[in-house]
Amino acid sequence: MAPEVGLSRSTFAKLSPHPYLLANLEPSDDSIPPARSNGRAPFEVRKPTVNLSSLSHAHGSALVRTGDTTVICGIRGETILTDHIPNFRASNTQTELADYDLLVPNIELATGSAPQFLPGGPPTTLAQTLSTKIYSLLHSSKLLRAEDLRIWHKRPAEAPISGYEDEEEVGNEKQEGEEYVVAYWVLYIDLFFISFDGNPFDAAWAATVAALRDTKLPQARYDPDREMIICSKKDPRPLTVESMPIACTAVIFTGKETKEQAADGKFWILADPDTLEESLCDETVTIVIDCAGGSRRILSISKHGGTVMTAKLLGSKEFLDWASKRWEGFASAMTGGR
Amino acid sequence: MAPPTAELSHLPKADGSANFAFGGYTITAAVNGPVEAQRRDENPFEALVDVNVRPAAGVGGTAERQLEAILQPALRHLIPVRNFPRCVIQVTLQVMEAPENAYVNAKVLQPRLNLGIIPALLHAAILGLLTATIPLKTVASATCLAITNADGSTVKVDPTPAEIDQARSVHVLGFTANRDLLLAESEGSFSAEEWDTVLQTAEKVCCRSQEAENDAEMGGYGAESENVQQFMRSVLEAKAAEGLHWR
Repeated sequence: MAPEVGLSRSTFAKLSPHPYLLANLEPSDDSIPPARSNGRAPFEVRKPTVNLSSLSHAHGSALVRTGDTTVICGIRGETILTDHIPNFRASNTQTELADYDLLVPNIELATGSAPQFLPGGPPTTLAQTLSTKIYSLLHSSKLLRAEDLRIWHKRPAEAPISGYEDEEEVGNEKQEGEEYVVAYWVLYIDLFFISFDGNPFDAAWAATVAALRDTKLPQARYDPDREMIICSKKDPRPLTVESMPIACTAVIFTGKETKEQAADGKFWILADPDTLEESLCDETVTIVIDCAGGSRRILSISKHGGTVMTAKLLGSKEFLDWASKRWEGFASAMTGGR
Repeated sequence: MAPPTAELSHLPKADGSANFAFGGYTITAAVNGPVEAQRRDENPFEALVDVNVRPAAGVGGTAERQLEAILQPALRHLIPVRNFPRCVIQVTLQVMEAPENAYVNAKVLQPRLNLGIIPALLHAAILGLLTATIPLKTVASATCLAITNADGSTVKVDPTPAEIDQARSVHVLGFTANRDLLLAESEGSFSAEEWDTVLQTAEKVCCRSQEAENDAEMGGYGAESENVQQFMRSVLEAKAAEGLHWR
């Protein structure tokens, strides 16, 4: 970093971001430690901060901030009567969440959160991809239990009118006093990016998990006369979220602007990338890990756009240890966030 | 499981086209390019790779956008995009047939990512690119794996949709012809050891063409899954021989 060169630092960064990042990662002077343009070490992540229950009208909410990426997640429960679910089967106790679409995530990348998001127009590809990722991960990680979303009702004991054969049969089939699921809670999970500076999935997923852990659904009962669900604000019931999966994203910077791999095969793994780094790198890797309860489980791995990150590296201990460390950072921010 | 079948250059108007069928999926790929990009999306240094996935019924939703987001970087890595500045290479993938799963309620709009379809889409796209005579740095093939039992010891290659539903974890891995891992996408819950097993199995399934004959332990996979890279080569050789027949 020689100040006497004609270009100033910021001009160099704007004109040719790729060599700029490379120059930062490979300083000509040995006394300067290699760092990214944003001052972080290659494996250093932005420290997350989590703020729970900041929305007063949602049943659960969380604001997650990592660096300049800020996302707020609000969860709102709505009830749906089982009579109104077209494909409802009372015997289905395994796949209710997916079959009846009880989890509805939606992502909005707000205008003004980053310069590339323009007002109006349909949701961008990024927003659609993110919402599918969140949706798929919510189901595949089995984060929520269907039990928490069921609303039970006890069939009142009423004397069947005698004399009618078929009525009696109906009475036998639906036994009085028997409890059955009358309705479900549907969770609308709305994610809103207030500010966007790279790595949207990690922040969005962390906000989703934190908000679900914060969610308290009101007590609900069925009123047979009005045929609707009545809720009371008294002692709301939290959801059971035992696991705490955390997404960890990194991009791979090859140091060459062209697509061809550098001859020496040198590359840097940049954890928790910002917008500039995302635009300069082709290859990304995301791992979703859960270390709750001592054992380390991987819930999802996705890797796209290149071959620098080999299979060996992807399964290596260093990489998994880095992910575990990031998990600890997020987990402590979430549990101690209040 | 039936071996893969393919039909090449069957669409008269597209620059390149291919029909690929395997494991209940039939995909038609149409490739156009390199053509001039629209002013709005042109890149002065490299070609834009535009991937469109169309479902068998209805219009594409968010899940199709994600499939596109998975395939696009993989194809972009295979095509030397820097050789075609200001151009666009358009790959349209139409799902013609998908295996039916009698155990689940079929929904027209599936918001969830369907991992099982990715290998078929990738293979159809590569065959389409090859028939469109778009230069490729290398070819790639992908495979779908599922860990079905509780202790994670059995890895099922090319699982059916019902098996995917029941599986503890599902993985899709793509390897280039040079045995480099090109794409990975997995869901479910699995340990680091299971991940290692999956990686090894997938590499064997995708890249075993060279040593297939003298590798005795491969016998177990041979029945279940055809080597797709070898299959693509033989289909293209047959097509080329047919094209040169008049000489």
